[in-house]
Amino acid sequence: MIEITIDNKTVEANEGETVLQAALRNGIEIPHFCYHPCLSIAGNCRVCLVKVDGRPKLMPACNQTVAPNMVVETEAPEVQSARAAVMQFIMLNHPGDCGICDKAGECRVQEYQFKYGMAEPISIEPKHHKKKFNYLSERIVLDNERCILCSRCVRFTREVSKSAQLGIVERGSHSYVARLDAQPFDDPYSDNVLGICPTGALLSREFMYKSRVWYLEPVRSVCTRCARGCSVNVWRRKKHWYVRSLGEEKNITAYRISPLENPEINGRWICNTGFDLHKFMARPRAMAPMMAGNTVTVDEASAEANRLLAGATNPAIILSAHASNEELQAFKEKLSPRVQVYTREDYCPAEGEVVEDDLLIRADKNPNSYSVHAMFGQKAFSAAAGHDVVIVWGDQVDYTSLGNAKIIHLTSYAPEQETRADVLLPISTTFERSGTFCNFEGKTNRFEQVFDKPKLVQHASDLFGRL
Amino acid sequence: MSCLEEKFDQLRSVYPAEMNSSLVLPLLHLMLKEKGHLTESDAVFIAQYLDVPPMQVKEALTWYTMLYRQPVGKHVIKICRNIGCSLMGAERLIEYLERKLGIKEGETTADGRFTLLAVECLASCGTAPAMQIDDTYHEQLNESKIDQILKELS
Ligand code: SF4
Ligand code: SF4
Ligand code: FES
Repeated sequence: MIEITIDNKTVEANEGETVLQAALRNGIEIPHFCYHPCLSIAGNCRVCLVKVDGRPKLMPACNQTVAPNMVVETEAPEVQSARAAVMQFIMLNHPGDCGICDKAGECRVQEYQFKYGMAEPISIEPKHHKKKFNYLSERIVLDNERCILCSRCVRFTREVSKSAQLGIVERGSHSYVARLDAQPFDDPYSDNVLGICPTGALLSREFMYKSRVWYLEPVRSVCTRCARGCSVNVWRRKKHWYVRSLGEEKNITAYRISPLENPEINGRWICNTGFDLHKFMARPRAMAPMMAGNTVTVDEASAEANRLLAGATNPAIILSAHASNEELQAFKEKLSPRVQVYTREDYCPAEGEVVEDDLLIRADKNPNSYSVHAMFGQKAFSAAAGHDVVIVWGDQVDYTSLGNAKIIHLTSYAPEQETRADVLLPISTTFERSGTFCNFEGKTNRFEQVFDKPKLVQHASDLFGRL
Repeated sequence: MSCLEEKFDQLRSVYPAEMNSSLVLPLLHLMLKEKGHLTESDAVFIAQYLDVPPMQVKEALTWYTMLYRQPVGKHVIKICRNIGCSLMGAERLIEYLERKLGIKEGETTADGRFTLLAVECLASCGTAPAMQIDDTYHEQLNESKIDQILKELS
């Protein structure tokens, strides 16, 4: 620990860290575009210039290592005017088309221009024109005019995801971010660049023009697509921005997913599968209880399930690795003594999917196998055990593997075959309840409720009380 | 490509092992000599040979103006248009060359003999105006000197 002074305040800094890092840790804001805590230091944007006592000129805070008794000023007049000049320079060729830019409202260029850009625009020559709709992949569009060449996206692909698929080509004000002409930007972590880009240069094609971001709010959730269980934000429309003309559906849509920083589990990143979580959740749902293909009331379905269970001589349940810890607990207390318990992996790696890597993605494509195994062990269902009634919990079940048993199916999603269950009881999804999962390392991660559940859908934990 | 790879191997043998990135530029120059101009797939070829990310080679390829990305003539005339040479009349000389060759800056003559490029500083400000034809510098130019130089070229 060494002591330095920032804006007349004594702060403790770690040996070897930069002025910017020490300032941010102590709650002092110094603007920065190119600096990102997870990436190498580039020092190219210059908006972080500060005054360091004894230095002949302003120093970039992101690239200045702290030294004992260093005296730093972040709001001196010359710092303010340098910032304004940097903003003036960055805006020189920036199109300033916030009105039609998806990033507006969460854009660092917009924010800093508003806060620090007190200098008049000085463009007398026409702005440089570059390619506006540059499709890097099926997922991402790059607007080269909006890019401020901070190189965050390039460093991300080189240092974090390691695909090295992005680079900056050409020179000077002609330079721009590009990929190989012959290869799309198909990095399985590509969408993370959307979040780290400080401006509206990199945008999601799927979210494009879907909503202004200030109508939306994030809700803490957990990605259920693999055993890493990354923390994510699910973006829903703010209640007071519900508009009837949008239709019920748009008001309760998950608009997009973004990573939620969680140093314990996923750091600041998630994989593209996680970015698609809202699409995974939006598959056709099981909306109403059914008996052998016919829609029935909740009471009728529960009564039938109870009748089947009461008459069963050898009942069993196949647990879902998508069930939360709370649901598993409810099951354990209320139902488990009466049935034989089996486990399974609801989801297996799909074709073409990254099975496992050394960054985040895990081969087990379910969020809570850890707890299932910890509480109930691991035992695959066997039809040979002669069960006459089987409760199947979770989706993606092949009924033919269940033998001749009567089937009570608790599921959120409803592919064709599910309607053939003797009793089908729709249950809520992760977005419709709060709870916790334990990831593959046993780390507990919490998710909050994003939406209300549909009327005829029940929470699995309530159901167990009734069976 | 196999003969090219032999030349690559030769060059590689004089570099310390594990310094693949340092070989990017030498190999680009070598390949340029062989092929006249370079494309993205050439950059990818070098990247694969060196086991470095293709984008890294493409960045180098697009950064340097001397690495041509379009076919050029037999002789490439690079004439400086930067401040030192401009003060000594470079702009007039560029126009003179354009008129003499019947092409604009950046173009190649129809017979494929000359490509005319205006470039930034050739680091010859003390002897401005200057131009470089292929690998040779020509300094303290004027119109008759240019006539003479071009005449002597095959
Ligand atoms: S696209 Fe965005 S992240 Fe990438 S260099 Fe440009 S401004 Fe930076
Ligand atoms: S690594 Fe796993 S948990 Fe994390 S975002 Fe990807 S699929 Fe979801
Ligand atoms: S944040 Fe320091 S130069 Fe960009």
